[in-house]
Amino acid sequence: MSLTDWKAYKPVLIPNIKDYHKIDVYEKHGGYGALKKILADQDTLTPQHVTETVKNAGLRGRGGAGFNTGLKWSFMPKPDGGPRYIAANGDESEPGTFKDRVIFEFNPHTFIEGSIIAAYAMSITTVYVYIRGEYRSWIRMMEKAVSDAYERGYLGQNILKSGFSVDMVLHSGAGAYICGEESSLMESLEGKRGYPRVKPPFPAQKGLWGRPTTINNIESLANVPLIFNNGADWYKGTGAATHPGPLLYGISGHVNRPGVYEYPTGMLVTDLINEVAMGVRGGKRVKALIPGGSSTPPLRGDALDGVRMDSDSLRQAGSMLGTAGMCILDEDTDMVDYLWRVSHFYHHESCGQCTPCREGTGWLEKTLLKIKAGDGTMRDLDLLLDLCTQMEGRTICALADAAAWPVRYTITRFRDEFEARVKNTVYALS
Amino acid sequence: MQNFEFTKEELAKIDAIIARYPNPQPAVMPVLWMAQEKYGHVEPDVQKLVARTLNLPEAHVHGVATFYTQYYKERKGKYVLDVCTSFSCQACGGYETLHYLEDKLGIKAGETTPDGMFSIQSVECLGACGYAPMMQITNDVYVNHLTPEKLDKVIDDLKKDQLPEFESIPLVQNRTTAMENE
Amino acid sequence: MAEIFIDNKRYEFEGQTKVLQFILDQGLELPFFCYHPSLSIPANCRQCYVEAGQPVLNRETGEYELDDNGERVIRFFPKLMTACSLDATDGMVIKTHVTSELVRRGQKDILEFILINHPLDCPICDQAGECPLQIQTYKYGPEGSRFEHKKVHKPKRIQLGPRVVLDAERCINCTRCVRFTEEISKSNQLTISQRGDHNYPITAPGTEFDDPYSINTVDICPVGALTSTDFRFKARVWEMSSTPSIDITNAKGCAVDIWTRDNLVMRITPRYNPHVNDYWMPDAGREAYKIYNENRISRPEMVVNKDSIKTSWNNALLTISEKLTGAETGKTLVFASAYASVEDNYAIQQFFARFANTTVIYVPDIKPGTGDDFLITDDQAPNSSGCKLLGINEVDADQAKGMIDSGTYETLVILQEDLVGRGIASTESLTQYFSVYLGTNNNSTSRSASVTIPITTAAEHFGSYVNVDGRIQRTLPAKETLYTDRRLDLQMSMGRLDHYGTRFDNWVSDNNKIDCIPAWEFLVRLSHEMNLEFRYNEAREIIDEIALKNSSFAGISYERMDRELGIALQDQPSKELNPA
Ligand SMILES: Cc1cc2nc3c(=O)[nH]c(=O)nc-3n(C[C@H](O)[C@H](O)[C@H](O)COP(=O)(O)O)c2cc1C
Ligand code: SF4
Ligand code: SF4
Ligand code: FES
Ligand code: FES
Repeated sequence: MSLTDWKAYKPVLIPNIKDYHKIDVYEKHGGYGALKKILADQDTLTPQHVTETVKNAGLRGRGGAGFNTGLKWSFMPKPDGGPRYIAANGDESEPGTFKDRVIFEFNPHTFIEGSIIAAYAMSITTVYVYIRGEYRSWIRMMEKAVSDAYERGYLGQNILKSGFSVDMVLHSGAGAYICGEESSLMESLEGKRGYPRVKPPFPAQKGLWGRPTTINNIESLANVPLIFNNGADWYKGTGAATHPGPLLYGISGHVNRPGVYEYPTGMLVTDLINEVAMGVRGGKRVKALIPGGSSTPPLRGDALDGVRMDSDSLRQAGSMLGTAGMCILDEDTDMVDYLWRVSHFYHHESCGQCTPCREGTGWLEKTLLKIKAGDGTMRDLDLLLDLCTQMEGRTICALADAAAWPVRYTITRFRDEFEARVKNTVYALS
Repeated sequence: MQNFEFTKEELAKIDAIIARYPNPQPAVMPVLWMAQEKYGHVEPDVQKLVARTLNLPEAHVHGVATFYTQYYKERKGKYVLDVCTSFSCQACGGYETLHYLEDKLGIKAGETTPDGMFSIQSVECLGACGYAPMMQITNDVYVNHLTPEKLDKVIDDLKKDQLPEFESIPLVQNRTTAMENE
Repeated sequence: MAEIFIDNKRYEFEGQTKVLQFILDQGLELPFFCYHPSLSIPANCRQCYVEAGQPVLNRETGEYELDDNGERVIRFFPKLMTACSLDATDGMVIKTHVTSELVRRGQKDILEFILINHPLDCPICDQAGECPLQIQTYKYGPEGSRFEHKKVHKPKRIQLGPRVVLDAERCINCTRCVRFTEEISKSNQLTISQRGDHNYPITAPGTEFDDPYSINTVDICPVGALTSTDFRFKARVWEMSSTPSIDITNAKGCAVDIWTRDNLVMRITPRYNPHVNDYWMPDAGREAYKIYNENRISRPEMVVNKDSIKTSWNNALLTISEKLTGAETGKTLVFASAYASVEDNYAIQQFFARFANTTVIYVPDIKPGTGDDFLITDDQAPNSSGCKLLGINEVDADQAKGMIDSGTYETLVILQEDLVGRGIASTESLTQYFSVYLGTNNNSTSRSASVTIPITTAAEHFGSYVNVDGRIQRTLPAKETLYTDRRLDLQMSMGRLDHYGTRFDNWVSDNNKIDCIPAWEFLVRLSHEMNLEFRYNEAREIIDEIALKNSSFAGISYERMDRELGIALQDQPSKELNPA
């Protein structure tokens, strides 16, 4: 489907079908068909073949980093008879992101089916689904869906008499953004403080309980059945060429019709803002767009023309696709206030394990608070940029980068606003 | 002094939880949740109970309990109102909502009303950014699109121990076009 | 052999090694905090940054790609790498602060971050002077701080347990202490609590950090966050002299350093010995400083008309000499001791060998169930194995009691053993004898003996001890006695204060020198008095003689003990000494 006829696009990941979350309805519309097809023909549709298909379809992770999902699966070592795991990442805590919960609520079985196919492709023994603790309502829905899938024989021992077995276990978080980071998630699953691990070793070598593990986002896994139902070519042809497939866009902020939408990747951000979300409230102009969760660098409202929601286009524009959780800030937004609040988040959520992040996130927030209060100086702006340099790429996990990027790019892209807020002296005389 | 103990049924449930993992340690989070549900908090004595039940070092359980913000390390009000003030909600009136509640209940974020009914907290993104401003009640139901009127009603209902209903919010596209199969 | 280039210099290495450990092994310097060679590697402090690169291999030929100048093409990692967690690989190129501006900047940045929430209380902090944070800040840190906000406040002066105090504001969250209790002592009594910059280590509420190894966390804490309840505020590091020694409070013989100031032992800390104790020691062993300092016997004592009085060395020697010369052959019972050194035991064994039928015995002091399978043994004494290998007769406490009560003997010579305290003899039974007690501390045995001879402790003499696993190690004198002088004995350590202190300084006096000599030296003097052939000038001569005469000790020497961190003796003493 070409990107111009997005208006005719019909959601396939979250189809517009009543009660689709119910297993009967899902099955009635061909649900679990992809799984059945694969398990019935394991000689041709070998695990390697399944992995290759996903790889060639071009599905890229929806958790933030956008890594090719099939390629990631292919990193798993050969099975040695011991346990192997998928950790499905439903931590969904990056501010501005609220799309995985739509899958839990409206199409849990496509996620479960995708997970089972992934498990088959990697000879997984157990899929642990880590869901943020705040999503208690959605965990309940998932509990029902998983137990239904067990009942119908899609999960458990000898699935559909195919000889393949896999279990699925739900695990609730308890309030820690960092547990969305894949190695922290594994620590948390192991019943520890969510301290990210030093890499290498990578999860495929040493993951949960020291065993080979693959971490995939919920939406990534939910995409898998689509590839087998509609074919890899269909998938590749949907949306942006280098980053294809249907994508859940979570739109928030100052727009008339916020919410979660499903469209192909590569949509023009201007279309999304002006047409899909029906424009900015009160007819105001866009001051900034945060394209994919609070860690992605904000783009200026006057630099959005031609920018598309895929990783290549956004990289060119100076940001990232992240989780496709878009937040639109209108012309009246106080960027100092916004940036302070984002910094407050990372300060609050730093696990505190490594020095640059533990100390740097707090220092960023305190400095921004000072500027917000009108006590900042020009020197503080330079200091903030310096601190970003001292944090980026220097830590165990990417939370420090996630904290630094918005600071760096908000200050550079909206410098006039910051300069207007600091004392008009280069060095405060004291 | 209160005696903290799991019942036989609860212990059986805990055994079932342990069985989902290769060893008992991963059960610490689910069991802390169970304990919090039962007692409303995980104060040190409850942490001890969890450690004892799972045969884990007390220090370990303490480390875990203090890492995760949803575990209440001290007693809170009967209803904990977690107002999201993260940046999307901030843009859409998260702080105004928080302050409205503070004024209404006469307490500040982080405090509990003297009658022990309500605690207010300013929390990070709850994954409902498109439905801002919003809040979560005692780690459970989300209340979206808050307005002063809606807040007044929620508080009145809570005083009568009536929790708001879960609001199902579909894809916007699916909201605006007729459903198939209808 | 694989090669690695560090700051343009080539080194060779074998097997698996982390880059930081390799750098340290070469005697090179790289600042770090969280890494500890015996603990897991969390790489959380980020102080050990290096630039690291690997040579590019030509896919087809498998050879190194060369540039126009014929040099290997090196592909550097895009980020600074933590050397502690980085595996050395063949051909790797490492740049440290010596050659990399980026590394220098990285080190400075980390120190700036660490210091923003670290209190500025070096002047009142016990760690000052031996603080990695202080030292590295001087060497690699920023000149000042750009931090102009309030520091995070955390609990201070928390008594974590009976022996360790926490100042959480000083903590840099390296997690060494927590890892120690999880991985080494396995008490699991500590955790990091809270999150982010509110993190600090603590016990579970209402529990105590009473781990029998707790003070090791004080040693490995790279800042003054954990301090020893006992040692707190007692002495500054630069005022003390340290002397290598061993722990004499059980049979493991942990290698230790004895820290003295003005001839008082201020503290005892573990010294690295991979064959015995690695970097650790039990808390109990640190208490030994009290044995060295307090309640010492100084100057010989004699009972005259039922009163114990101080007497001269000459008088004591004369009295003993007369008694021994007059004593009937076969009527002297000599107690050697598992609490005394190999040298002293050998000397007493040899000295009495010339008196026909004299019985020399020792009584092991084993309390079953008090040990663990780490560094605490059931055996309470440091040298049971030594006594055994010297061929001294071992008797148990009941047998020994029987011998004392049997009426067979007239004279008792007791080396160090507190017979009364251990219940082997009673005060009354001792008064039946002419008894000589060669001891270090006042106790009920010394008070009951006819003559008491003050001898040196392990902190005052050269002495060897054979541990429960058959390893012989030695002590060096850390404290001066009235007869030794660290300015003359070049083997004694000289701290700053010992060097430059004068009588007019606060901490320099003669008050703490004990009037005592090694037991072997006393026996030499006694032989003079008795006109016997028994001559040694120093402990070294004794150990050399043992090495020649006793096959169990063949080939040993002080030099080897020092160089090889003790020597595993050929004849392993029987395992029954260590029932665990
Ligand atoms: C600080 C941090 C937070 C993260 N949070 C999430 C999250 O909430 N959900 C998620 O799916 N991925 C999150 N990620 C990304 C994961 O580490 C991981 O890359 C992802 O789950 C892999 O799945 P995918 O390849 O399917 O995208 C986070 C990463 C970082 C560094
Ligand atoms: S970067 Fe931050 S969140 Fe990640 S490990 Fe370090 S301290 Fe923890
Ligand atoms: S108390 Fe010391 S050893 Fe423990 S984490 Fe803090 S700095 Fe490290
Ligand atoms: S920012 Fe409030 S729910 Fe996401
Ligand atoms: S020593 Fe701490 S990170 Fe390497």
